[in-house]
Amino acid sequence: MTLQEFLADRMRGILFWASFMAAAALFLSATGTQTGVIVILMIVTALAASTMQAMDFLRRRTRLRELEAILNGLDKKYLFSECVPPARDLYEDKLLEMLRRSGRSMIGAVSDAQAAQREYQEYVESWVHEIKTPITAARLICRNAGGEIRKKLSHELGQMEAHVERALFYARAGSPEKDVVIRPFSLEELVSQSIQNHKELLMQGGVRIETEGLDSVVYTDKKWICFILGQLLQNSVRYRGESPVITMSARQAGKQVSLTVADNGIGIPAHELPRIFDRGFTGSNGRTRGGSTGMGLYLCRKLTEFLEIQIQADSEEGQGTDVTLVFPAMDAFA
Amino acid sequence: MQKIMIIEDDAVIRDELSLLLENEGYQAVPVQDFTDVPGQAREKQPDLILLDLGLPNRDGSLICGEIRRQSSVPIIFVTSRDSAMDEYRALSLGGDDYITKPYNIPVLLARVRAVLRRSSGTLEPDVIEGCGMKVSLSKGTVTAGGKTEELTRNELKILSYLLANEGKIVPRADLIDALWDSQIYIDDNTLSVNMTRLRAKLDNLGLPGCIKTRRGMGYQL
Repeated sequence: MTLQEFLADRMRGILFWASFMAAAALFLSATGTQTGVIVILMIVTALAASTMQAMDFLRRRTRLRELEAILNGLDKKYLFSECVPPARDLYEDKLLEMLRRSGRSMIGAVSDAQAAQREYQEYVESWVHEIKTPITAARLICRNAGGEIRKKLSHELGQMEAHVERALFYARAGSPEKDVVIRPFSLEELVSQSIQNHKELLMQGGVRIETEGLDSVVYTDKKWICFILGQLLQNSVRYRGESPVITMSARQAGKQVSLTVADNGIGIPAHELPRIFDRGFTGSNGRTRGGSTGMGLYLCRKLTEFLEIQIQADSEEGQGTDVTLVFPAMDAFA
Repeated sequence: MQKIMIIEDDAVIRDELSLLLENEGYQAVPVQDFTDVPGQAREKQPDLILLDLGLPNRDGSLICGEIRRQSSVPIIFVTSRDSAMDEYRALSLGGDDYITKPYNIPVLLARVRAVLRRSSGTLEPDVIEGCGMKVSLSKGTVTAGGKTEELTRNELKILSYLLANEGKIVPRADLIDALWDSQIYIDDNTLSVNMTRLRAKLDNLGLPGCIKTRRGMGYQL
């Protein structure tokens, strides 16, 4: 609160007081009081009134600054009403009481929502673990089934696993710090693990994989990065073209290492490219080919944010898509 | 025959896993009663234990600890929980490996083989013999009739896989599958190219036509 703001706020009162004093001066002069006396009287009352206003200004400014410092110091601003010091006067007391009531209802709503979200997240995680048991059993049973059925069923099971995995990582993305363990890995290890995880899908898609320059070491979480690479591989297989080739290559640029997953698939139209990492965005390819959830790349972006990896996509329709992950420099973790 | 004890509460998985392991030439010992698992492990003396961490009423990692106190039998955890904490806790309790459900069956079998090989101290043979030739895995060469040819990584893997399945018809898909497991990610066409080169080398060694093409089925050595 500046002095100017304060004066502007008080202007009505000050004008009212000034006109009252002017009227009193006229009255006194009309009833024969000496001019000198009136002037002295005016000066004294004006001084007294100004001092009172100045003191009021200083007092309020100090109070506001104090409250603002408390608010600024709070991590969760909605807890403000619980942290204010006792009221100084009746009016403030009434205001703060209302603020507290509103604050309590807000705190209640927030903690209910948080608890509900946590419970839901825990449920999703445990559900994911439960569902893995019947899927595993189905996998084992499927092994004994005959050729064509086995192939089709195991493809469907693969799809189920992919959906389940996305659900698990969606839940985990809510509290990543509980799961992430940053350690050094060679890109070779991460890439071959993610290829191994999707071997069936890639082989059924008739994909050839080429790898290049994967001897760099990156600091990251293996499970998470394999999930991200898995999403990229799944997309490359889903949107593949004739004689599909996926190239996974790494480059060292200064202290950073980048890994590119490039395919020669059907590509993404230029106007859709900026939105592919949005939640639920499926694009024209997703709509025509089906089976797209619009969650894969969205999750990739969320998880890369936490791992401090930059993710970017480049594509030309009919030529293919490149997705590049830029890993943070190693000394970021040193 | 190596004995593998299966500690798993889901009956379907237990039965199917037993079947799978028996087909692979192991003796499966499924645990039916979960009251005294460490005692049963002592009694049956398995060569390897597959332990599910999510047993009802019992924490699998505690069972592992109890078994560890009396024996050094290799233990592989099989679990649907895969958080970093679970993995760390399991391995710190003395597990030898950690596999998450739903497992990829070839991967499971490969891990079982690897752990058994480590624990029994046998190494994978360096030289494989068959069909009148000797293949050295470390040198990457094939020798027959006094002559030696060098093989590329791909050719070496193809030949050793065919030798390991000598006499059987190996479908192209199985061969590609096996190559992918060795980080050779080739497609059908590349396999054909590699096969042609490999055959030319075997021709030079005086073994023409030893890899037969069984049309519509695969290859046979």
